[in-house]
Amino acid sequence: MSDFALGSGAASAPAGRPWYQNKKLDQYICFWSIPIFYNLFGLVFVPLSYMMPPRSPSSDMSEIVAFMQSPNLLIASSILILSLGLSAVGNAMYVSQIKRMSVSPVFIYAFLAGSMTGAIVGCLFPMFCFGLGAFRPGYDPEILAMLYDFGYLSFIGSLGCFCLNWGLLSLAIILDKNTILPKWLGYYTAWQFATELFAATVWAYKTGPFAWDGLMAFWFNMVIYVPWQIIVYVCIFKAIKAQPESELGNAQYEPKALYS
Amino acid sequence: MSTRGQGILLWLTPVAGVFFLIAYVLFPGFSPAMSPTMTPEQVGLFFQENVTAVRGVAILVNLVGAMLVPFFAIIAVQMMRMANSSPVLAYSYIISVGIGMTAFLLADYCWGVAAYRPDRDPQLLSLLNDMAWFFFITPAGLIVVQNLCLALGIYFDARPEPIFPRWVAHFNVVTAVLMIPGAFAIMNKTGPLAWDGSLSFSLRLATFTAYVAVMFFVLLGVTKKQTAEEGAMS
Amino acid sequence: MTNTVETASAEDFYGRDTQTSLPGESSMWFFILGDLIIFGVYFISYMYYRGQDQALFLESQQHLSQGIGISNTVVLLTSSLFVALGTEAARHGKRQHAYRLIGFAFVLGLLFPVLKMAEWLPKVNAGLTPGENLFFMYYYLMTGLHLCHLVLGLVILAFVMRDLRVSTAPNIKFIEAGGTYWHMVDLLWLILLALFYLMR
Repeated sequence: MSDFALGSGAASAPAGRPWYQNKKLDQYICFWSIPIFYNLFGLVFVPLSYMMPPRSPSSDMSEIVAFMQSPNLLIASSILILSLGLSAVGNAMYVSQIKRMSVSPVFIYAFLAGSMTGAIVGCLFPMFCFGLGAFRPGYDPEILAMLYDFGYLSFIGSLGCFCLNWGLLSLAIILDKNTILPKWLGYYTAWQFATELFAATVWAYKTGPFAWDGLMAFWFNMVIYVPWQIIVYVCIFKAIKAQPESELGNAQYEPKALYS
Repeated sequence: MSTRGQGILLWLTPVAGVFFLIAYVLFPGFSPAMSPTMTPEQVGLFFQENVTAVRGVAILVNLVGAMLVPFFAIIAVQMMRMANSSPVLAYSYIISVGIGMTAFLLADYCWGVAAYRPDRDPQLLSLLNDMAWFFFITPAGLIVVQNLCLALGIYFDARPEPIFPRWVAHFNVVTAVLMIPGAFAIMNKTGPLAWDGSLSFSLRLATFTAYVAVMFFVLLGVTKKQTAEEGAMS
Repeated sequence: MTNTVETASAEDFYGRDTQTSLPGESSMWFFILGDLIIFGVYFISYMYYRGQDQALFLESQQHLSQGIGISNTVVLLTSSLFVALGTEAARHGKRQHAYRLIGFAFVLGLLFPVLKMAEWLPKVNAGLTPGENLFFMYYYLMTGLHLCHLVLGLVILAFVMRDLRVSTAPNIKFIEAGGTYWHMVDLLWLILLALFYLMR
């Protein structure tokens, strides 16, 4: 369809084609689910449940019990269950760019595996630790304290799956001959791998800069992580936009109306 | 590429269905569904009285729990064949299946552990039981997203002869919506939304069963068409 | 040419313009600068916490082996020297020579992890683990992170050596980038040496 092949970087909705007939609509819909997901989580973790910023590992027992029994944790758990699939979509966005790179498919499969593991051990299970404590009032404070520890440790101390994923992404970008994503992003992603190494210390400390609420293990890691998370998705958005229409899976077909 | 293996894997679905049905019928925790309002003492008693049945089902599901994965994998493969601009929806689907399956198996483990030492402190047994139900509820949420991904993929499939008929997309949207109440089971201890309630439990399981059954027949048609199109080289 | 002043050739052996181009790749410089900043923040926070509890830090520091620290420094500095020499040789097209020089640097680099293990293992056996106190957490974390960088550097040097041996026109930018990375590893070590071993 040479009429639409306007060269790389061309919009895939040239003049005359409405947004819902954009050839890359599937990618854009998936992309826009990401800010929804992150904002939802931001709301759930911070103002709704006060889970974040992380509470101290050396809090008073009474504080721990009061926090763990907050009904907002149940709301948070429910929202998480419903939207956990969106983490899959967010991760799938990385994978679909990796697929376009000149690297081996091994990167795709390994990243998929890392995404599945990470969602359970680093997201679902920690949230459940908090939800379980809030679900039933009569639990022994010692049990609540254990759940509190388990929740924060697994949430902030989840290392390996993300080491894997960011290591894969970083290496893929650096090796990629098609330059789908910029090389400096590959190096920036390597630092996300490093933040996992920094976070390892939370398993050994209850106070100080290396605890899960510590200056180095949490706050400095956030300084490295948060801008990267925003930047990487901006780069992915640009990569989607720049993808030449001829490369698309539906390149040879006319876009259908969404509802026929 | 040979489609024979795919056919074999697809027929695992009814086999899985039979096993799951057996597990459902035999599991004491489902007939009737355990109430979230049970006190730790009642939960302790439940596990003491039903050790064999719980343990048996836990072991069975441990073994066959993942038998539905090929079914989902076939859907993912067909999603890759669709003329969408990118495989992002298929990848989302794959990851969601992995997450859901893991959660489901963790529920199984929790019940298995509870039955392992039923004379444990009832509070701990209650905790394990709660944990099991939390994990059991989780896949409902994943199915919401993964079904919507499949539906979107079908709607956007630009092939002149789409892989899936359009009504399958509508079907996936409807089933996704029907699973949504299940995600809110954690917030209620009584009523239809509680994990033993008509919406979160009965409707959810019935929807899921119907979904797998219908999609099985859909996939039979889809894979047959694929074999015809691409030729079955065995 | 009426110019009486001889200007050095602005092109290297492979015909690249050397006067205007940055050695190595710009993305590697991005990485190196960012890495230095991250390490820098750790160094500063270390100094801060050291200031908070000098007695503890001083006492813990006594347990470190200055001998191994200095040995590692000599190893790395020498290795860096050979990497620099090798890079220069590569720029002038002397592939074999460059390969040998960088190979030697690689072998020296291999000594580092060995010495590090000789340093760490007795300590861990004696109960001085990362969880012991804040000083040791910093110590193990920083030297551990440095070790990871070094191992990565060794991998990069191995690829540089392979490039020199296998291709007739080696990728000079890559060799320079690898060399720059190795020098960064060296620089980081010098700072670590000063902070942990020497500052008493």
